[in-house]
Amino acid sequence: MTDLLNQPSNSQFKFSREKILAFTLILPSLILVFITYLYPAIFTFVISFAEYDIIRLKIKKFIQFKNFEFLISNYFFTSSVLRTIYFGFLICVCTTILSFLIALLLNEKFIGKAFLRVMIVLPWAVPSVVSGVLWGQMFHADTGFLNALLYQLGVISGYKIWLADPLVALHVIAIAEIWKAIPFMTLFFLSGLQSLPSEVFEAASVDGANVFQRFSNILFPLMLPIAIPLFLIQFVLAMKSFDTIFVLTRGGPGGGTTTLNYFIYQEAFETFNLGRASAAAYVLLIITLAVVLIPTISRFLIKFFWGNK
Amino acid sequence: MKKNLILKNFFIYFSALIVFLIMFFPLYGLILTSIQPESIIRSRNLSFFPTEIIFTHFAEVLKPNHISNIYEGIKNSLIVSFLTSFLCIILAFPAAYSLARLNLPAKNIILGTLISIYFLPTILFVIPLFVILVSYQLDDTILSLVVPYTAFTLPFVIWILKSFIDKLPVEVEEAAKIDGCSTLQLLIHIIFPLLRPGLIAAFIFAFILSWVEFLTPLIFTNNLKISTVALGLFRSTIDIKIGQQAAAAIITLIPVTILMIFFQQYITKVVLSGSDK
Repeated sequence: MTDLLNQPSNSQFKFSREKILAFTLILPSLILVFITYLYPAIFTFVISFAEYDIIRLKIKKFIQFKNFEFLISNYFFTSSVLRTIYFGFLICVCTTILSFLIALLLNEKFIGKAFLRVMIVLPWAVPSVVSGVLWGQMFHADTGFLNALLYQLGVISGYKIWLADPLVALHVIAIAEIWKAIPFMTLFFLSGLQSLPSEVFEAASVDGANVFQRFSNILFPLMLPIAIPLFLIQFVLAMKSFDTIFVLTRGGPGGGTTTLNYFIYQEAFETFNLGRASAAAYVLLIITLAVVLIPTISRFLIKFFWGNK
Repeated sequence: MKKNLILKNFFIYFSALIVFLIMFFPLYGLILTSIQPESIIRSRNLSFFPTEIIFTHFAEVLKPNHISNIYEGIKNSLIVSFLTSFLCIILAFPAAYSLARLNLPAKNIILGTLISIYFLPTILFVIPLFVILVSYQLDDTILSLVVPYTAFTLPFVIWILKSFIDKLPVEVEEAAKIDGCSTLQLLIHIIFPLLRPGLIAAFIFAFILSWVEFLTPLIFTNNLKISTVALGLFRSTIDIKIGQQAAAAIITLIPVTILMIFFQQYITKVVLSGSDK
């Protein structure tokens, strides 16, 4: 950024030509992104204040905040908002802890490490529809491995219909999402661990710090700058999860696994109430932005009030 | 000290085994289900090793009139994924170069916006796109999938390519410029070949993301004229034949798994190159 200011004045002409070139190179991408993101975002915003006629594809009439009012007074909506936030945090916390532990393991030297790394990365490539099918079979009432295993171990006396219980079903979906999310985060944690200078640990072990002291005093503070963004990204991705829910439970039983994203899908493409769906989509956007922005804003405020320390 | 080391090693291998089991067992279960007769799958005698291996589930799934319509799905998914990855590279390569090397004003803001868009809820954009596609009767076409996929993947691909370009030595470009090389020539003859690992990584990323996409085709192909692998697999879950379902899942999985295993090194490189900045 600083070289921008230090441009010699005699190359003013060249500088602006380079600017034009820079813009031309990036323009096609920006146009595509503009058409597929910004325009729809505005469109969704507008129809969130309207009743939309799905047959004539026209706005029927503007109804101000009626869509939002309806949503807020709707028990089904508010419960799905709370459920979504719980679901998001559950996935984040579990994924972050497990990925960090796996990354610590992969940071050690052992035989078969390369093989294990491939195995860990693998779930990332598994299409979420496949993972839906896979976990659906795992928890299947008649043919699932879980039932068979628990039954033979004597933990349960009869086969359980796992996905019939709303709370259990929600956690089954969370397990599927965590399993799929671990690879990506593990790789990031691993790269973070590998970028740490090894002297830090050597010095610490010479000083006689034990494993837990090393973890809490050195590793944890050093990894926090990597962990926080990963945690937030994971939260946002968890907010977006749809496929697993669609394949496993379709939002059921009794709406017990309907997250906000799924609620919007149902409003938009099952009951074709586009106005209400758009309003809900904006609520989802606001939640997502809030979670992402709160740390940034709080950091800014801390800096602002307590100086640069 | 030595005893300590043995203990540590034991702990490492033990946890490696646990991690392996947790991460791999679900996939193993799927494979197991796909090669066992329906009667064994449904019996209550739990066995984690195949007692009778058959391939009839795969044969059934691969029959042309199977519910998952797998050939059609694979054909469409290949076309869509290739087109998407190709388009992504063509658009992202100059954009990434511009962001990495040229004096683009407000480049941090542009890059930041592009990346944060990737994390916004997809459904927000899907509703109006659906309306547009339906009103121009473009739904149920390859185009209706390729354009949104490209847009959804593009920010990510730009970021990958930018972090690769950042790692290239600037000296080569400066030398070429002194020799009178124009920016376009520079891009095509010098950066492009140097960037091959980055381009391959980006291509794979885009390919995998398009291959696994489910929400977009689910909505944009509402008349079921064209099907993708993911949709076909979903349709097979309506059927109660668990073995065939597992077989269809494995067929869906194979291409991405091969890509993943072969190019795992590139993907790791992307992550490594992205995080240290």
